[in-house]
Amino acid sequence: MSSDHWRRAGAALAVAALLAYPLAASSPYYLDIGVTVLLAAISASAWNILGGFAGQVSVGHGMFFGVGAYLPLLVYTLWGWPPMAGIPLGMLLAVGLAALIGAPTLRLTGHYFSMATIAVAELIRILVGTWGLVGAAIGLQGPATARGWWDLTFRDETPYYYIFLGVLAGVLALTHALQGRRLGYYMRAVKAGEAAARSLGVASRRTKLAALALSASLTALAGSLYVLKTGFVDPDSGFGILVSVQMVIVAALGGAGTLYGPLVGALILIPAQSWANSWLGGGGSGLTFVLYGGIIVLVARFEPGGLFELRRRMLRWRPERSRAA
Amino acid sequence: MYDKSRGMSGPSPEGRETMNELLRPVALLFACLAVIQPARAADDVKIGAIYPLTGNSAGAGQSAKDAVELGAEIVNSPHPGLEKLPLGAGAGLPGLGGGKIVLDNADHQGNPQVGQQQTLRLITEDHVVAMLGCYHSSVALVATAAAERQGIPFVIADSVALNITGRGFKWVFRTGPIAPDFAKAYAEFLTDLRKGGKKIDSIAVVNENTDYGTSVAASILAAAKTAGIAVAAQIPYDANGADVSAQVLQLKGLKPDAVIFVSYTADTILYFKTMKNLDYLPPLIIGDDAGFSDPSFIPNAGPLAQGAVNRSAFDIGAPGSNSYAINQLFNAKHHRDLDDTSARWMQGFFVLADAINRAGSTAPDKIQAALRATDLGPDRLMIGYRGVKFDETGQNTLSATYLIQLQGDHYVSVWPEDRATAKLQWPMTGWRQ
Repeated sequence: MSSDHWRRAGAALAVAALLAYPLAASSPYYLDIGVTVLLAAISASAWNILGGFAGQVSVGHGMFFGVGAYLPLLVYTLWGWPPMAGIPLGMLLAVGLAALIGAPTLRLTGHYFSMATIAVAELIRILVGTWGLVGAAIGLQGPATARGWWDLTFRDETPYYYIFLGVLAGVLALTHALQGRRLGYYMRAVKAGEAAARSLGVASRRTKLAALALSASLTALAGSLYVLKTGFVDPDSGFGILVSVQMVIVAALGGAGTLYGPLVGALILIPAQSWANSWLGGGGSGLTFVLYGGIIVLVARFEPGGLFELRRRMLRWRPERSRAA
Repeated sequence: MYDKSRGMSGPSPEGRETMNELLRPVALLFACLAVIQPARAADDVKIGAIYPLTGNSAGAGQSAKDAVELGAEIVNSPHPGLEKLPLGAGAGLPGLGGGKIVLDNADHQGNPQVGQQQTLRLITEDHVVAMLGCYHSSVALVATAAAERQGIPFVIADSVALNITGRGFKWVFRTGPIAPDFAKAYAEFLTDLRKGGKKIDSIAVVNENTDYGTSVAASILAAAKTAGIAVAAQIPYDANGADVSAQVLQLKGLKPDAVIFVSYTADTILYFKTMKNLDYLPPLIIGDDAGFSDPSFIPNAGPLAQGAVNRSAFDIGAPGSNSYAINQLFNAKHHRDLDDTSARWMQGFFVLADAINRAGSTAPDKIQAALRATDLGPDRLMIGYRGVKFDETGQNTLSATYLIQLQGDHYVSVWPEDRATAKLQWPMTGWRQ
C-alpha cells in the first residue's frame, strides 16, 4: 500500500477509536478523562489558529474561555434560560472582546504580545472577581438537576462525550478548510515574517485580527462546553492563568501550527496529568506537578516543534537509513 | 500538505534518542507505582477524601489530612481515655464486625474540575463507600454534584459557602458552620459587649477580595444590620498587595469601635505591622480565622496583636476533655496543636465513621439513612459544636463557633461565657504593653 493508503487507514482507525471510546471506558472516571481530553483538544485547537498558524502566541486565551464559560450560567442565573442559550452570546462577546483588545495588542510582536495578553486576561479576571452581577469572587452555578434535556445537565457523561467530539470535528474541519484559503495562507505568511508578508501585499493587521476573532470565538465555545459539564465557574476556573497556559502547552506538545497537533497533545497530556494525580496526588508530595513540569521541560529541550515535528523527522530518517543499508 | 512542505532540521538518530529520553522516566515512574499500591484486608471500609494537597492552600490541606489520618487511627485502634467519643475506645467498627477504616486520599489542587474527576475516580474505580472534603467551596460545589449523581454520601467538613447544602441534594451532609453562623456569632458578641457597657457604636469590615473574604464580609454586613450595629466602612483589598497603609489610614480616619478582618496570613501580619507604624489601634480587633489561626501568625505578629479576638470552633480545653486528649495525640505526632480547620475535618470524619458503624453496612443508602439519623451531643464531639444533627438540607443545625482572644503567646476562649476559660481583655493592648 502507498503511504496515502496507510494514512487513510490510520485516520479511519483513529476516528473509530474516538467514536467507540465511551463503549470501552470501563467506568465514569475513564469516560470523564475522555471528555476532558476532548475539551482540552478543542480549546488548544482554537488557540492553535492564532498561536500556531498565525504565530501570535497568546498566553491570555483564558479571557475568551472565561467569557464563554460565564455567559451560559449568567443567562441561567439572571433569567432562568437554558445555559446553552448563552453559548452564541459568549462567542459573540468573545469576538467583540477580541476586536477591542486586538487593535492595541496586535501592534506588539513576539514576547510583548504574549505579555500584553497575560496582562489583559489577569485584568479581566480581577474585574470579574469584584463584579457582583456575575457572582464576583464566588462564581456562578448552573442547574443542579436538569429541568429538561435542554439544560444539557446529564447524570452520565456519554452525551457530553459525543457533543464534544462533534464540536472537535467541526473545529478541525474549519481549521483544515482555513489552511487552503487565502486567510490561511496570509496567516502563515505573517507567521513566517510579518515585514516580508506586508511587502507582498498581505494586510497583516487585518489578518491577525481575523485569526484572533476566529480563535476567540472557538475558545469561548470551549469555555461554554466546560461549564455545561461542570455546572460551575468562578474567576479562577474561567479566567485563571492556568487555563491559558494549558492551551499553549497542549498545542505545543502535540505541535503548534499543525492540524492534529492539539489533539495529539491532549491525548498525551491529559491522561498523564489525571493518572499522575490519581496515583501520586493522595500522598501530598506534589509529584504530579513534577511530572507535568518534566514533560514540558523535555519537550522544550528536545522537541520544541512538538510530537508532530518528531514524527516527521522520524519518517524522513527511516528511508535514508534503508538506502544506506 | 502544508505541514510536509516546511523546512526541517537535519535528519539523525536524535529523534529516536529523544523518544527514549522522553519515555524512560515515565516508564520508571509507572513501574514504581505498581509496587507501592497498598494491600488491604477484606472487611475494610474505604472512605474517599479529597483535600487541596498542592497549590495555594496546600498547607491547610496537608494539615487536614494529618488530622483525618489521626482520626482513622483513633477509630481503628483502641484508645483508652476516649470512651466518650463514638468509636474512640475500641478497635474498628463494631457494627461491621470490627472492620477497619481505610482512607483513600486524593488531591483536588483547589481546581473544581480536578475535584470532580477525583471524586468520580474514588467512587467508581476505588469503590469508596462515602466521601469527605473539600476545603475550597468551589470544589465542594462541583464534587458533591458528582457524588450526588453516583448516589454516594458526601460529608463536607469545613467548606463554608451557603449553597453547598440547600440545592435539593440528598447525599450531602455538612458538619461545620457556614458564613452566616460566624457572622451571627460576631454580632451577638458585639451586642453582649454593648450590654456590658462597652462602647460599640460602629464597626468596620476589612476583607480580602476573593470568594472567602467577599462571602464572609457580606454575611457580616447582613448580621450587623440585623443586630442594629452601624458599619462605618467595608474595605476590600488584595491579599497579595505589598502595602496596606491606605486601608489603615482610612480606618484611622473613621475611628470604628471594632474592626473585623477577613484576611489570609501574610496580609494579616502586614496589617499589624502597618498599624504599629502608623500608630493606630482600635479598641477591638476581630479576625475571621484564616490568617489569625495560621501557625505562623503568633510567632510573627503575636507581640503586636495582644488582645486580638479570633473565631474558632476548636479549643484545646481542659485536661480530661476529648479535645485536650486528641490534641495531645496530634501534638505528639506532628509537634503542633490542632487548629480550627484541621479539627473541623477530624470531626467530620468522626461523624461519618459513626454513621457507617450505625448503618452496620457499607451500602450507600444505609449510610445515608444513618447520617440522617445522626444525633450526637456536645460531650461526644472533639470540637465545640453544640452537637451534630442534620436538617433536611444536610446542614448541621447545632454547628457553632466561639471566640478566642490572644493573651500572651496563645489563644484563650473568651466567648460565650459558658465556654470561656479566661476573661476578655478590653480594650486590646496590641503592642502597647
